[in-house]
Amino acid sequence: MMTVGNRPSSELEDAILALAQRSADVDARVESAASAHFAGQPIAVLAVGGYGRRELFPYSDVDLLLLFANEKAPVENKERIGAFTQSLWDAGLRVSHSVRTPAECTEVHDGNSELNVSLLDQRFLTGDRVLYAALADRLPRFLRANRGDLVRNLGALTRARHQRYGDTIYHLEPNVKETPGGLRDYQLVRWLSQLREGGDSPQWMPQPLQEAFHFMARVRYFLHVHSSRDNNTLGFEHQDSLAEAAGVPDPAEWMREYYRHSRVIYRAALAALENSEAHSSSLFSQFRERRARLSNADFSVHRDRAYFRAPQRLDVEPELALSLAGFCATHGIRPSAEAAQRIASRLPQLREHFAEPQPLWPILHRILSQPHAVLALRVMHETGLLQAIFPELDPTECLVVRDFYHRYTVDEHSLVAMDAFLAAPDPYAGLRAEIADPSVILLALLFHDSGKASGKSHVEESERLAISAMTRIAMPAAARDTALFLIRRHLDLSSALQSRDLSDPATIREIAAAVQTVELLKALTLVTYADIAAVNPTAMTPWRAAQLWHLYMSNYNELTRELESDRIQSAEIAPERAAFLEGLPTRYLRTHSAAEIAGHMLLEKQARDCGIAVEIRRLESAWQLTFAATADRPGLFAAAAGTLSSFGMNILKAEAFSNRRGLILDMFTFADPHRTLDLNPTEVDRLRTLAARVITGKTDVRELLRNRPKPILPSRKARIPAQVSFDSTASATATLIEIVAEDRPGLLYDVASAMAAHQANIEVVLIDTEGHKAIDVFYVTKLSREKEADLKQAVEQALSPK
Amino acid sequence: MKKIEAVIQPFKLDEVKEALKAIGIDGMTITEVRGHGRQKGHKEVYRGQEYNVDLLPKVKLELVVPDSRYEEVLRTLAFAARTGKIGDGKIFVYEVAEAVRIRNDDRGESAL
Repeated sequence: MMTVGNRPSSELEDAILALAQRSADVDARVESAASAHFAGQPIAVLAVGGYGRRELFPYSDVDLLLLFANEKAPVENKERIGAFTQSLWDAGLRVSHSVRTPAECTEVHDGNSELNVSLLDQRFLTGDRVLYAALADRLPRFLRANRGDLVRNLGALTRARHQRYGDTIYHLEPNVKETPGGLRDYQLVRWLSQLREGGDSPQWMPQPLQEAFHFMARVRYFLHVHSSRDNNTLGFEHQDSLAEAAGVPDPAEWMREYYRHSRVIYRAALAALENSEAHSSSLFSQFRERRARLSNADFSVHRDRAYFRAPQRLDVEPELALSLAGFCATHGIRPSAEAAQRIASRLPQLREHFAEPQPLWPILHRILSQPHAVLALRVMHETGLLQAIFPELDPTECLVVRDFYHRYTVDEHSLVAMDAFLAAPDPYAGLRAEIADPSVILLALLFHDSGKASGKSHVEESERLAISAMTRIAMPAAARDTALFLIRRHLDLSSALQSRDLSDPATIREIAAAVQTVELLKALTLVTYADIAAVNPTAMTPWRAAQLWHLYMSNYNELTRELESDRIQSAEIAPERAAFLEGLPTRYLRTHSAAEIAGHMLLEKQARDCGIAVEIRRLESAWQLTFAATADRPGLFAAAAGTLSSFGMNILKAEAFSNRRGLILDMFTFADPHRTLDLNPTEVDRLRTLAARVITGKTDVRELLRNRPKPILPSRKARIPAQVSFDSTASATATLIEIVAEDRPGLLYDVASAMAAHQANIEVVLIDTEGHKAIDVFYVTKLSREKEADLKQAVEQALSPK
Repeated sequence: MKKIEAVIQPFKLDEVKEALKAIGIDGMTITEVRGHGRQKGHKEVYRGQEYNVDLLPKVKLELVVPDSRYEEVLRTLAFAARTGKIGDGKIFVYEVAEAVRIRNDDRGESAL
């Protein structure tokens, strides 16, 4: 049964008028009840909250404030108050009332800021006018005098509310009142303006903001009427009805309209809050102005916002928009509304410019490698720059894909996944630190669901879109292959968690075979973690995180066990190539391209002619030394490591292989911290010659290392204690030695020399550095227990500070 | 009415749900749990370090069914959850005194 004031409006467009009409209807009902129960009493009845603003939605609470002269009066009038509220309840109104004195209304309530806020919308209804005048007289002065505290409390309430909804507007089933960008945020803009003006309501609001408010109010009105209760959740079935009512065939398209309006409100709310807080707190302003020193030739920083110094340059230099994103990524500063607007207004030109194939990867790689990379991507997404560079992402912008578990739109899910990747706690944080180039994972996450609008298998479509985008920006083949692998396989681990027996060795063997290398396993585990965590805030339960970690460990063990046990036997390939590959670990085949293998075969041929062949080549961000030797002898690996250290090079990664016909093939990836090789090309030849001499025993590496300066040790607190662990059970033919130690020049040489001195034959080695930490895993030919103990002691000695 | 509580292997959940759905059982409560029976835990080695995994991840299903159907549900559930290996889980059955649908106060089997 529809009761007073809950009449549905015949047309949605009438919603705003209907709210005012309902408020007027309820006013009459309240005045009548007050005259029946409070006649002649010193009581004033005030409408507050939405009712005070004459925006009373059907089925919403009717918020009343009963004003009394002193604290005793409500006790004396207890029965009258009870009868008054009961009569309104009986009339079908959900009354929510509070009882206050003018003095209580003009106090800052830190624990009940809602009371102070509700008074901003107070409206006298009926009763004692003199009593109300006492409040009306004090209220503007109170608001002016306590503006700072009230703004602070309002800010805290707003931030807590935004946080409850994940600080995003892009919910699949948003709450039109409470979600960021909802009606509460619109009111926030009004309240902050009122606080600035001493209580007066703002006379003017920008047109897009007003339109957004009308849209949201109509939606809320619809929800209340059609749910016959105070329901503010815009569920899927309501989205269908509203889209139909608006004549939009696809509800997802209608939701895009919703997000556009919500975005206007959200931006206005954040801007209003920041401005008010800056005005109210000189300390906050000072802090923000400190960041002005980050200004450079292209951008100035004012009040913690970045501005274009010469905005007109954007017309002739579209890359400036990307530079701004890079500035945000480096300093964690958002662009000013003006700068964002400038980019948004140039989108057609930017789209046209970026549609041309061009080598954008180095710029994007720099942005994605900065500490605030996700903030920069969010800024690019909000301004439309991201879609201008990658129009492949257009179909998933604000896209609602209905799913019981997902909370966010597809584009927001990808951004949340990136945040989850960067914030993953231990043990995943440790894994992340071992990733050589996290920017590739971020790009994979950006595209992993990009095919979701296609309506067919989204993984294939995502990969297709990613190939198109990555080709256009000239992403290097290795990085592109990794990103595409992660996109193609992003569901594999989660689907194994759900439907495969993880204790079955066959399951693990199958997954490991598909993942191929430890490096890809780490990246895929992190992508899976991020993808699950971004489904909704509670999706990554400790239970699920432990399951995924178990799956990672099992696959890691499978892949590392295979390093020494699984050797390439034969292949249906050219006999020369088969002979070269025979006996190498299967990992070799997976981690090297056909071109690299051809290069190694050439090195082997040279080594057969002269005993040794050394190649040094430039990689994208490092160097690589590869040597092939036909005669194995103790200390070959150590000799090459020592040569690099003697040149001041920092070894990042090393691998040692041998094939069945006795070829030793070792590879060292190293950084050149002083750019010696870049600046002095002749030094490359000198290093190559020197390495060959050392490896063949013609030069003593110890002599070379004697002249190196001693490294500066990090502070005592930052030191990493050395750990050596031996595992003889991991493999039937090898002993696994894992070393975790403080990285320093010559470390690898010292350890490898200790092993060589104890006749330990290094079969496979994987070297990794993680900041100051070196993680080295050696597979040496199976040792007896006695030898193991001796070697452990020798390695520990090699690791002790020199 | 009977309450059936089953602790099963997580990877069997989809199969069990499908099997129950096929015989018309849709409503159930699912919880992620850890525990062990005779399967006990085991040791994992990661990078040379040993880790004890003594509580294994499992999924707990709870459903209430009419007396007339519980044998069929029990059989279906056990069949779908079975791999034949240690660790397949357990099923417990309890008598239920009453069921109430909160929305409309339906009682007994009609509330299921």
